[in-house]
Amino acid sequence: MHELSVCQALLRQVTDIAMDRGAGVVEHITIEAGPLSGIEPDLLARAFGILRAGSRATAQALLSIESPAVIIRCTGCSMESPTTPNRLVCPLCGEFRTRVVAGDELRLRRVELRMPESPDRRTVCAKPVVAASKPTSLEKDWNNSAAETR
Amino acid sequence: MQDLLAANDRVAVHNREHFDEHGVLAINLMSSPGAGKTALLEATIATLRDRYRIAVIEGDLETDNDAVRIRALGVPALQITTGTACHLDAQLVHRALHDLPLSGLDLLFIENVGNLVCPASFDLGQHRNVTLLSVTEGDDKPEKYPVMFRASDLVVLSKADLLGVLDDFDPERAAASLRALGRDTPLIQTAARRVPALAPWLNWLEEQLAERRAVVPAELA
Repeated sequence: MHELSVCQALLRQVTDIAMDRGAGVVEHITIEAGPLSGIEPDLLARAFGILRAGSRATAQALLSIESPAVIIRCTGCSMESPTTPNRLVCPLCGEFRTRVVAGDELRLRRVELRMPESPDRRTVCAKPVVAASKPTSLEKDWNNSAAETR
Repeated sequence: MQDLLAANDRVAVHNREHFDEHGVLAINLMSSPGAGKTALLEATIATLRDRYRIAVIEGDLETDNDAVRIRALGVPALQITTGTACHLDAQLVHRALHDLPLSGLDLLFIENVGNLVCPASFDLGQHRNVTLLSVTEGDDKPEKYPVMFRASDLVVLSKADLLGVLDDFDPERAAASLRALGRDTPLIQTAARRVPALAPWLNWLEEQLAERRAVVPAELA
């Protein structure tokens, strides 16, 4: 149940963003967790339902989890194919050396904040990509589509 | 967009810098509980301790039994007790490094918590991930745990001396299950209780050590 650790990391990231922007309330968080991300969306949603209460800023926040389909690119024939998490061999030419081009993401897509001076207006901000250097591949696993919690 | 584990990954990069400064090769050992990680470490240490300076970080939910087994071989072992946490993360390893002097070491094994799911998501700063698959488990484990096996740089079929008495584990099927994950990850067989059967594993380790020495300054290696 490492979803708990991942959820703690998510809430820290989101509260940091809210503080940076001077927002008091986080309304809606959208993340991407692909089937090869190692995250079970239902478990993450459940962890979020409990942990969001840890700070006033996130206590009422909504979480949407998007799960992009797994797509591989073949190193042999260069074709891209949609597939399942444990069938990562090229379905066209049979080459087993392939690259996952989608489906292993685990990232924050969007945070919607409410600013203190304009309580009705939502500010939507997307955080720029921060590349984490990972010399060794550390990808992840999972299951199905979107999960929401309030 | 930011990686959700960016904070962990930053600490992992920092750990890796520590290892590199000291010319230490760090190996993250993962498997399901009981696959023989500690037994493999014991046999490896007994064989290599005269040639390499080795230390071990042990991750377990409870008890320091494994660390005690390693220390009995005269090698420093530091226990991280994770409580209910099902995996090690970079911060836990970083804290352990404060109590484990890296200077003078060649090889650091990090024995992760026995679990084929959670440890796969957390970079610890290791140079190589090694996953054990014991032949008393199913030969379709790679397909069942694609994230773990895709993250592996080497897969070790452990307890291979039992293959003769097991009729339901086919190493060929295990290899096919691993290849289905789109990687050409090497797969070797070992038997911790039969020293000659350790040769492929020891050879792989020596290759990795030689590779490390080629990248870190000679005075450190």
